[in-house]
Amino acid sequence: MTAAGFRRGLVAALPFLLSNGAAGLVMGLTYKGLGLAAPQAILFSLLVYSATAQAITLSMWAIPLPVAAMVVACIATNSRYLLMGAHLRQLFGGLAPRKILLSLFLLADASWLMTSSDADRNGPDAGYLLGSSIPMAIGWVGGTALAYAAPLAASGPLKLAAALLPTMFIATLLPSQWKNAASPWPWLTSAVVALLVSRFVDPSWSMLIGGGCGTLVSMMERTDA
Amino acid sequence: MRDLVQHLMKDLDVLGVIFILGLTCYAMRAGGYVLAGSMRDDGIAARFLRLAPGNLFIAFIVGGCLSGGLAGLVGTMVALVTMAVTAREWAALGAGFGAALAASAIGL
Repeated sequence: MTAAGFRRGLVAALPFLLSNGAAGLVMGLTYKGLGLAAPQAILFSLLVYSATAQAITLSMWAIPLPVAAMVVACIATNSRYLLMGAHLRQLFGGLAPRKILLSLFLLADASWLMTSSDADRNGPDAGYLLGSSIPMAIGWVGGTALAYAAPLAASGPLKLAAALLPTMFIATLLPSQWKNAASPWPWLTSAVVALLVSRFVDPSWSMLIGGGCGTLVSMMERTDA
Repeated sequence: MRDLVQHLMKDLDVLGVIFILGLTCYAMRAGGYVLAGSMRDDGIAARFLRLAPGNLFIAFIVGGCLSGGLAGLVGTMVALVTMAVTAREWAALGAGFGAALAASAIGL
């Protein structure tokens, strides 16, 4: 873990101040629309710090809060972090876990991708992971806070943005996921089961049951491709 | 007084959920690093985790489109196509949101 790597990562990730800031702003406006106080919303973005998990738990928001379903949703949607973490262990195997625990707290898809790419060019450096994570976290949490500080209201276009952008955000991840798909059948299964569960069971479970069924179909296929 | 107590209880519930979800997400982030030594790359669990994200995203999008109505469906499709063509997240989100806004304005 070097200071040079930290600086390199910090500078490379500066654009994320803007992009994560805008996304955090929408998330903050959505929390505002739900009636969450500013400290709660900021804490949510800081502690959970996952657009996917936050978008999905938002879609499940109800009184009383479906805690178990939300936890399962977080585990299911963030399962990719297990693999990212395992990959980072391969990169930084010589580093004691306690030295990387803070960096893992801020681990995001983009910081992992950037760190993997930097490791190919400059060799593994846990400082790069921490440095690249910081602008992303400041943007995300700062954007959430800005939703409460600025005179913005979740009405009209902003309300529409808050309602639809989480789904659109997830949709933008599909092209990269499609490259890993061997056939359309798992996704079709996921979509159909999600539709049926949403229609006839409970919309808050449609993602987990639909996605789980689709993943089982993926596992039955011959290769992961 | 009773309203105040109920309000405080609700706030505590929300804070509790936030901490539980935060702990869960951190466990996922740190868990892979800590457990990497004992997890087989070719095991069933690793394969399930590797294959799960795309399927979960599809199911999530279906649910979102159902609750967002036609405007949501139009916006999501435009965002998806724009991302596939440009590979730029913010172009996709901008185009998708613009399409949803237009669809909403014409009453879809």
